[in-house]
Amino acid sequence: MPSGEMSLINQIDARGKTARDINRQIKELIAAGEKEISVLHPEARHNLAVGLLSSISIVFEGSVGYYCGGMIDGPELEIRGSAGWGLGESMLSGTVRVRGNAGNSCAASIRGGTVVVHGSVGARAGISMKGGLLIVERDCGYMSGFMMQKGAVIICGNAGAALADSMYEGRIFAGGEIEDLGNDAVVKEPDEQDWKFLRMNLGRWGISAERPFKKVVAGRRLWNFDKQELGLWKEAL
Amino acid sequence: MCGITGYLDKTGNGGTPIGEILIRMMNPLCRRGPDSAGVAIFGPSVAPRLILRVKLGEMGHLEEKGEAVVAALRRLAPVSEHRVFSEYLRVVVGPVHDLHSFERQVEGLAEGLELVSLGHQLEITKQVGSPEDLDGSYQVRSFRGTHGIGHTRLSTESRVDLSHSQPFWARGVPDLATVHNGHITNYHKLRRQYEQKGFRFYTENDSEIIGIYLRDEMAHDRSFEEALWSSVKDFDGSFCYLAATGNSLAFVKDPFALKPLMVAESDKFVAVATEELALRASIPDDFRVFEPGIRQVHLWSVPTLVLERA
Repeated sequence: MPSGEMSLINQIDARGKTARDINRQIKELIAAGEKEISVLHPEARHNLAVGLLSSISIVFEGSVGYYCGGMIDGPELEIRGSAGWGLGESMLSGTVRVRGNAGNSCAASIRGGTVVVHGSVGARAGISMKGGLLIVERDCGYMSGFMMQKGAVIICGNAGAALADSMYEGRIFAGGEIEDLGNDAVVKEPDEQDWKFLRMNLGRWGISAERPFKKVVAGRRLWNFDKQELGLWKEAL
Repeated sequence: MCGITGYLDKTGNGGTPIGEILIRMMNPLCRRGPDSAGVAIFGPSVAPRLILRVKLGEMGHLEEKGEAVVAALRRLAPVSEHRVFSEYLRVVVGPVHDLHSFERQVEGLAEGLELVSLGHQLEITKQVGSPEDLDGSYQVRSFRGTHGIGHTRLSTESRVDLSHSQPFWARGVPDLATVHNGHITNYHKLRRQYEQKGFRFYTENDSEIIGIYLRDEMAHDRSFEEALWSSVKDFDGSFCYLAATGNSLAFVKDPFALKPLMVAESDKFVAVATEELALRASIPDDFRVFEPGIRQVHLWSVPTLVLERA
């Protein structure tokens, strides 16, 4: 921070601090009634801003490591860099926005809230989602949406292999090429409601919905065991 | 767990502080692999001579043993440099005509000798302990070169000692080294097959199979890159490994993306590491990182601009 420049935003300089120190400082600022926090030099540390249960806006001026924003309920996080594995894992509500790319298992098991990644994400994005929304502006990796149970995933670019494998419920939209579909995943054309949903949710983050989106949903053949379809069960993980 | 790191200077500058960069990358990965640390660094070539790094043993009068080995070595090939430090003997020898029998002869010179690395450029330094301990023992930070790979090990299946640490030199192939994060589950099956072919295994570490596999594939007229690609199909389990030769650095990722790898690339360098933490801790420039997908192989080459050894 250049001297003389006043700022209302509370800053935490992460240099030389452990994740525990930084998280404690964040919690102290929240307890003191702060509404906006900026974290400088996060340098890809793990477990930042986990388990926060109040409405707070936190900006990370750089990359974060694993499990950033895990188990949060309410905060708005922005990461001006990339994120490692397990971004926003098991979050309940709030938003996690990443300007760069995110690693594997982004938005894993989230129950609510929104995760937005402006770059690409690794494998198993949105695995076992139980609600909420994951938006990926570019591409996603292998086995995204695996065993998803509820909520929506929007991949604006290309989707990696085994998309939506064994999903139970929910919707996945893919705006680019789908490398291949997972077990029991079915491609449909988005209906009017879906387009409205896409335009509203992408528009909010300044992302165009004008792409040839396909909708992928569960074929529901794995919902109940049927020995007539033994082949399908042998394939499923 | 385990942490793996790699760095290649794309300008071909042989004076790049690879040792310093690797130690800085490995420090934050220490918690993924607290058991041992090691680096494989490619410096300027001494071809047609070879740089040998020989493990002398764990105890006893290693200085005297080293001198005796050097004296015996002089009968096999001309020795131009030698130095004993801690458990290692470093020698520059050659030229050597029959590499295969030379390797066996060297290890037969005294009890407990083990060739840790051999190559025109490659030097492997590894030991039990942290990256900082490694630097403390061998001044790794002072090593310069064009590229290198590093490893912090969390042992899951085999012993914790220098021999079982990584990087592994792919025996029989000068200047080929690997580091691996993961578990190759068909290791025992592959090992039996290679043992029947006459390959000798020095450790119980599944990661040792990678070098042997690459060596065998390349002996069957496959290029380095083709061998890397076929390994994706022939290895089972979770793996992400780096392989480096005298003029290249490559990564290979398994079919399930079970092991992390972050890649940062610019016009000047390529850096890969298990976690972005390692990249941010070692390279001050601003760069973007991405995580490669499944079944991926990528190979970067060093331009042929390597500085001559002074």
